[in-house]
Amino acid sequence: MNLIKPFSTLALAALLAACNQTSSTNSETTAIEGKKLTVGATMLAMEHEFVVNVHDEMVKQAEKDGIELLTVDAERSALKQVEQVESFIGQNVDAIILNPAEVEACSPAVSKALAAGIPIINVNSETSAKPTAFVGSDDVEAGRIAMQHIADKLGGKGNVLMMEGYMGQAGQIKRAQGAQEVLKKYPGLKLMAQQTAGWDRAKAMELMENWIQSYGNQINAVFAHNDEMALGAVKALTDAGLKDKIMVVGIDAIADALQSMKKGTLDATVFQNAQQQGAQAVATAIKAAKKQPFEKEVLIPFELVTKENLNKYLK
Amino acid sequence: MQWPSEMNTTKTLISSKISGQLGQYGLLVAFLLICVALAIISPKFLTVQNGLIIVTQVSINALLAFGVTFVIITGGIDLSIGSIVAVAGVVSASFAHPDSYPVIVPMLMGLLVGVAFGALNGWVITRSNVPPFIVTLGTMTIGRGLALILSKGRPVSNLSDEFNFLGGGKILGIPTLIIILLVAFAVCSVVLRKTVLGRYMYAVGGNEPASRASGINVSRVKMKVYVLAGGLAALAGILLTSRISTGQPNAGEGFELDAIAATIIGGTSTTGGTGTMTGTLIGALLIGVISNGLDLLNVSSYYQQVVMGVIIVGAVVLDSLKK
Amino acid sequence: MPNPILTVSNLSKSFSGVRALHNVQLALHPGEVHALLGENGAGKSTFMKILIGLLTPDSGEIWFDGEPLRANNVHDVLKRGISMIHQELLTVPELTVAQNIFLGREPKRWGFVDEAKLNSQAETLLQQLGVDLRPDARMKHLSVAQMQLVDIAKALSNDAKVIIMDEPTSALSDTEVQTLFGIIRDLQRKGVAIIYISHKLDEIFALCNTITVLRDGQLIDSRPATDYTPQTLIAQLVGRTLESLFPEPNISTGREVLRVEKLGQPNKFEGISFSVHAGEVVGLGGLMGAGRSEVVQALFGMEPHKQGRIYINGQPVQIHTPQDAIRHGIGFVGEDRKQTGFIPALSVRENITLICLPNFTKRGLVHEPNETVAANRTARDLNIKTAGLGQRVMHLSGGNQQKVVLGKVLLSKPSLVILDEPTRGIDVGAKAEIYKLINQLTSNGIAVLLISSELPELLGLSHRIVVLAKGKQTAVLLREEATPQTVMQYAMA
Repeated sequence: MNLIKPFSTLALAALLAACNQTSSTNSETTAIEGKKLTVGATMLAMEHEFVVNVHDEMVKQAEKDGIELLTVDAERSALKQVEQVESFIGQNVDAIILNPAEVEACSPAVSKALAAGIPIINVNSETSAKPTAFVGSDDVEAGRIAMQHIADKLGGKGNVLMMEGYMGQAGQIKRAQGAQEVLKKYPGLKLMAQQTAGWDRAKAMELMENWIQSYGNQINAVFAHNDEMALGAVKALTDAGLKDKIMVVGIDAIADALQSMKKGTLDATVFQNAQQQGAQAVATAIKAAKKQPFEKEVLIPFELVTKENLNKYLK
Repeated sequence: MQWPSEMNTTKTLISSKISGQLGQYGLLVAFLLICVALAIISPKFLTVQNGLIIVTQVSINALLAFGVTFVIITGGIDLSIGSIVAVAGVVSASFAHPDSYPVIVPMLMGLLVGVAFGALNGWVITRSNVPPFIVTLGTMTIGRGLALILSKGRPVSNLSDEFNFLGGGKILGIPTLIIILLVAFAVCSVVLRKTVLGRYMYAVGGNEPASRASGINVSRVKMKVYVLAGGLAALAGILLTSRISTGQPNAGEGFELDAIAATIIGGTSTTGGTGTMTGTLIGALLIGVISNGLDLLNVSSYYQQVVMGVIIVGAVVLDSLKK
Repeated sequence: MPNPILTVSNLSKSFSGVRALHNVQLALHPGEVHALLGENGAGKSTFMKILIGLLTPDSGEIWFDGEPLRANNVHDVLKRGISMIHQELLTVPELTVAQNIFLGREPKRWGFVDEAKLNSQAETLLQQLGVDLRPDARMKHLSVAQMQLVDIAKALSNDAKVIIMDEPTSALSDTEVQTLFGIIRDLQRKGVAIIYISHKLDEIFALCNTITVLRDGQLIDSRPATDYTPQTLIAQLVGRTLESLFPEPNISTGREVLRVEKLGQPNKFEGISFSVHAGEVVGLGGLMGAGRSEVVQALFGMEPHKQGRIYINGQPVQIHTPQDAIRHGIGFVGEDRKQTGFIPALSVRENITLICLPNFTKRGLVHEPNETVAANRTARDLNIKTAGLGQRVMHLSGGNQQKVVLGKVLLSKPSLVILDEPTRGIDVGAKAEIYKLINQLTSNGIAVLLISSELPELLGLSHRIVVLAKGKQTAVLLREEATPQTVMQYAMA
């Protein structure tokens, strides 16, 4: 029931940009080449578990390589992100890592960095302006894997509901696209409804409750664009006593989702390798800054997680 | 030269009668009309089961809106409640793991956090000349940050069954959330309509200097109001956490605006001094019914936002016509 | 006598079935200053709004300059030559004097405003009026009186044959009032007819040829001013004869209730020392800005005081907040009742019990039946006219609102009541009731501290008058020695 997007606290933006900066350094491995490299990173939202996981790995990689990593939190605001990149340019960092909030609205950040001659690496999701390099996974593939799993399990026939991410974000658009590709192949699979729950567990639970009212026993499977929403759907279905009959599949393989799978409530998820994304992003940024050769597109494959291979992912 | 007589008088007579009745019952009539319309369009709408679901879904927003109603009646505003939902949720979840503490401990810890935030709001607002809008905008950010710090940015899960029962269980087939909502509604109504504090809230919001001249300790009234709002937000946060079985640091984002919307749709004047709990409850139900109905009809969420916006502006326009 | 310029016959108007005007007649002659009098709600403003085209009457006729005036918009009426000087001035502060005068009728050249012509025309007008104002001065830099003169100039520029003035002196100083009177007499000589609305009887007798009295929407009388005395006029206004507006003051005063010694607050007032006894009215006299309101607000704890001592019933007390003052038995009715008096959206009952609400609780909850009993008694004692105790105070008339505020204060059983301009902006009838009430308070042994800018009121009610000038106490006058001259003499010291 989120009516209006949270106030954009523009007045505080500059202040926060300053406050949110955390720097991680490692003095032991400094000064191999005399000058320590500085990489600025602006992250979509440090309250999302997946983003935090990516960032943790970035910090580790930065320590290992002895560079300074400046991180700021965009709090999901593209405008803020553009401002943050501008201030990185002002600080004359050696490279920028951008975890974009939006496809279009964050593009100016990319163009500005390139114009200033600073390499900029997009991590996890894309912008319409082409960055120096992209590290991430193809979200279309994630949607394809999840929906394919549903198709396989249902034998290509049944009624499916799709819970979408925050409308207009690359993740939502591409995961929906991947799912639609699979649905086209199976005329027996019917998409009864698709609706956003804004990546949020509580909202997903409400949406699922309302769907149960609408479609009740006709539902065979639910595909959620992320695990948070999948877990909300699982909760609503469990409460309504319908979970045994309806399969739920999410994406991201966050800890809560794996626990839920272990209990046998969530059916499947798609593992997006946060560690790899974080580490590769930093590694690519360093190469680009040092003008060493690097891959323009580092794609880290998604992996389907089911009961069978669950143990591999449980920590 | 003669003017046509009768006409004008009758017209003004009728229009004044209509606007008077709209003011009193307009909200209820609008609510019922929307329910009837949805019942006609969707056969799934008018069932006991769906009714229970709507009220359950509404309860979190309604609890927040009760607190906001107190605050807006005194002429203030509280933007921090959404963040309090998150902090109270994360804190209570941290004490609610299985085999750790009895269920009362996470509840009290969560409430304590909410009350502390409310007291901080009240203290700064009454001790300084900074408008409540700015103060609570600040505490909103502080609260969100605290929730992220305390949870390290990750959901706090693995909660005990007893704790999950608070907001997710049923007593005699009725969801606990509905029972808590009704109790909270009764208590808040009594506080507002039957206690000295409630009367003082109307007085302070209606005319602060006159309240001061009547010997009312205005600062104390405001303090209590923000503490009430903080406490109710914490209760909402605990129940939300229990309902989804995790303490989420990003829970409650934008909830303050939903709560303010419910309050204003419910007829509480944005300038303070008037408003009722019943109005706020109906306002929250109206939002919930529309949201549920549009979901049942599979209306795109883009349109849902437009519909909500129209209703909020409509409610405020109606309020200004009443005056 | 020349033919009337404006004739009104059988004018009637109702709102939602309530009669605001009923068969009103009026004849206005060129060169006449015609007073229109009536209590608040008597129908004066409805009458004016019909004349200037803001309202359409239900029935009746208006003839202006030999032709029927079919008035359905303000612009037409203005063009025909009827102008109104509003109580709240409707000028544009950012524009110049000349621009305001010709607003909407600017002289043009090549499609552009001809500023030179604008200014020269305005200057001629201002000179005719004998007003010393530059046409290119910005409105926002003018005093209220000067803005009013600009409004009059604007009316003249319209070739107004009739000018309606609604309480034109309410914001003017005495010398400014004299200037305005001079201009009005000048206009009179030029044959302009003026309808003059005012509550101030001395002005009406000084200025007007004819007096028309409205009461409850009906014409009561219309005759030459020389036929009236102030007493007979008041009797007509309120519909009954008043032996005297001011009741005989209570003679038996008792023990000392309040004593103030050397009360002071830097830059506000200093060295204020006086006492008030039970059953006594002590008036605080002085000009605007002499510090009277600041003194009583300090006594009630709404404003701070740095120096001096306050004694209640002989005991020294500390008063820093209104709660302190109320606890020590002080009641306060402020000069601005909208600001510090009542809560508009609360009901009559809720306003009356506001100070002592905790006395009306049972088991922590407000006990409405007890509240209603008390509020009912207060409403009856003070003769508050309402549609019921549940009516919101914002819908009451000024006089009744003031009585609600008084009732609220009296319900807290104070031993001293501070009244700051208690009759400001209320009509004669309600004023007389408030005077009677003050008399009742003193005969019940309550001490009263009164501020009033109306000298007759201050002199008529007070046992003693403390006069302040520029924040300092200049005299304490006994009733016998207090005359308008002595009070003014000390007030200007």
